[in-house]
Amino acid sequence: MTIRFHRRGKEKGGSAAMNRRMFLMTTTLAGVTTNAMLGSASFASSAVLDEAQGASLLRMIQDIYPHPDVLQVSHYEAIAATVMKNAEADAATASGLTDGLARIDAKAQELFGTPYTGIEDPDAREGLLRHFQDEGFFQGVRWTAYFGIYDNKEVWPLFGYEGSSVEHGGYIDRGFSDITFVPEGPTLEERMADVQA
Amino acid sequence: MTKFDLNDDNVVVIIGSGAGGGTLANELAQKGVKSVVLEAGKRFDLSDIENDEWAMFQKISWLDKRYSGGGWHGAVNHPTLPAWIVKGYGGSTIHWAGVALRFKDFEFKTRSTYGEIDGANVEDWPIDLAEMTPWYEKAELKMGVTGRTTGMPHLPWNNGFRVLAEGCRRTGRSDYRSGPMAINSVERDGRPACQQIGFCMQGCAIGAKWSTMYTELPRAEDTGNCEVRTDAMVLRIEHDDAGKVNAVVYADSEGNQHRQKARVVCVAGNSIESPRMLLNSASAMFPDGLANSSGQVGKNYMNHTTGGVYAVLPEKVHMHRGTSVAGIVGDEVYHDASRGFSGGYYLEFLSLGLPFMAAFLEPGNTGWGRSVAGALENYDRMSGVWVLGEDLAQERNAITLHGSETDQYGLPVPVVSKTPHNNDYEMTAHMYETSAQIYEAVGATDVYELPAYPATHNMGTNRMHADPAKGVVNAYGQTHDIDNLFVSDGSQFTSSAACNPTLTIVALAIRQAEYIAQEMNAQNI
Repeated sequence: MTIRFHRRGKEKGGSAAMNRRMFLMTTTLAGVTTNAMLGSASFASSAVLDEAQGASLLRMIQDIYPHPDVLQVSHYEAIAATVMKNAEADAATASGLTDGLARIDAKAQELFGTPYTGIEDPDAREGLLRHFQDEGFFQGVRWTAYFGIYDNKEVWPLFGYEGSSVEHGGYIDRGFSDITFVPEGPTLEERMADVQA
Repeated sequence: MTKFDLNDDNVVVIIGSGAGGGTLANELAQKGVKSVVLEAGKRFDLSDIENDEWAMFQKISWLDKRYSGGGWHGAVNHPTLPAWIVKGYGGSTIHWAGVALRFKDFEFKTRSTYGEIDGANVEDWPIDLAEMTPWYEKAELKMGVTGRTTGMPHLPWNNGFRVLAEGCRRTGRSDYRSGPMAINSVERDGRPACQQIGFCMQGCAIGAKWSTMYTELPRAEDTGNCEVRTDAMVLRIEHDDAGKVNAVVYADSEGNQHRQKARVVCVAGNSIESPRMLLNSASAMFPDGLANSSGQVGKNYMNHTTGGVYAVLPEKVHMHRGTSVAGIVGDEVYHDASRGFSGGYYLEFLSLGLPFMAAFLEPGNTGWGRSVAGALENYDRMSGVWVLGEDLAQERNAITLHGSETDQYGLPVPVVSKTPHNNDYEMTAHMYETSAQIYEAVGATDVYELPAYPATHNMGTNRMHADPAKGVVNAYGQTHDIDNLFVSDGSQFTSSAACNPTLTIVALAIRQAEYIAQEMNAQNI
């Protein structure tokens, strides 16, 4: 169901950061996203989704890849806009999306007595979405979110990924071997000796 | 550029331009033997290479229709991509990382070493390490492999490998180094030294890594003895009334069919396309496909027993900086039945860019949510390995032809079935635990286990065996059934060994070229 940890690491000093992250996910953003999104022109003007469905879509994208410490709401809004644009261009995609969002809400009502965006517990929201993860509309949104975040050159630096290097002459003079918490590798002389012994 | 006539029946037709076909073409060309190379994909050159994981995947991969079958997770998570190989001029030597390891002696003798294994179809090769050693040396000199044969030092260690190496040192290991790699550590053979660009698997943008794309193929063409035809998808191999192959029918980029006559045909299309061609060439004389009297064509498909392990370290690593496979750990490559499995495995440092890390950390429909996102926020503190070990031959692991569905060329779609053997499960558990211990010794806070990627190492399916009833080709890759039909790629492997297959494919191709030239001169073929 989830990523395979070999052994889940002990939470030592990192627990403070994790707690902050959990706090952000469970409180701040849960409120911010829904409220900040309302009235956004790009969502209101969608020909496919009404405002409530637009809010659900945005919440869903955030729940698929939650990065409250790393990404801005605007990053998620851009992905939602792409999903909507794709839906506007294709009737089957549009009906799959609106139908899917309606069924997510229906399931939320059934389990929690509230629409999906009204569920405050992020684990509960993720658990709800897991019911739909093998469906085409869900994977369509998921892969749009994937490319909008992890294959997005503007987002890469936020994750510490530097991308293409050939135009900079590679990493040979730019830190390919600059860490200090483990010993340095063998010198050229040692590497020469290794192959000439 | 040389062009041979379709009716020239004196040429060797080589199908495929990768490690096997590209090397064979150049070796034959240097000896004055004329050949036509038929390559299904486009012509690429260095200007096509980009430092972009998905862009290069889209540009060079073999994405024609094929299915994953069997009981491996890929049948669910990679249903139409059982293998991640290249369709184009240079084949998968564009995509490979440059690891150039030799088989160990016992890996040529798996049946003798392991004994009979239930559910597996393990056999000995008809050649051994002593026989192969001079050919390995020729291959290392040709490719420019760091190490004793060339005298080129292994590459400097990058951050990601330094972490792995320190974990190895702290856990009492000793066989870890940044080679042998077919990547120039100094300028050599007209190619520059590695600049630690990264993206080795997307193609080396400066040509520091050996690839037939800018070594063997242009050199073969320059002799005037070799013509490489790209966008030439082979549909079938034909034979005469005496049962000798005499022509190859292929489709060009517009779907027009051509028939190139041939004196000798060498199949080098990787372990899926090579048996597929033989099976598709069934005739009244060979109703089960060419060279298939043993019934072993398409059988014994092997890749490697594999998985990924990524550890989160206490400080930044920036694993993406530098060569993709920056170092190799060989301590676990031995056979000891008390470990609970046969054969051994390597741990090879392997960096993934953020896009691929996010795609492969947990592949399939379930790979999203808080745990995946949280792990990816540690991307810049990760180091990881690709673990690869011996995959045992099994008859049920096979390339078969789909009963009704065809591809854009009208050929039945191949179905690639793979079901792990118990040996794989035992070995994989050991690999994961070993890797975790190594990384925990350097302070890893989390260790993630990744399942096998779509196979880049494909072996078996036209295997070598001394007994014509148990294998498809002899010790020279010559089919037992048809003297002038050869197999020149990794599909002739009898066992998979633990190591990356490319060096052995190249060594076998050099040896095969010598044999073909000799047999042609002697008028035996």
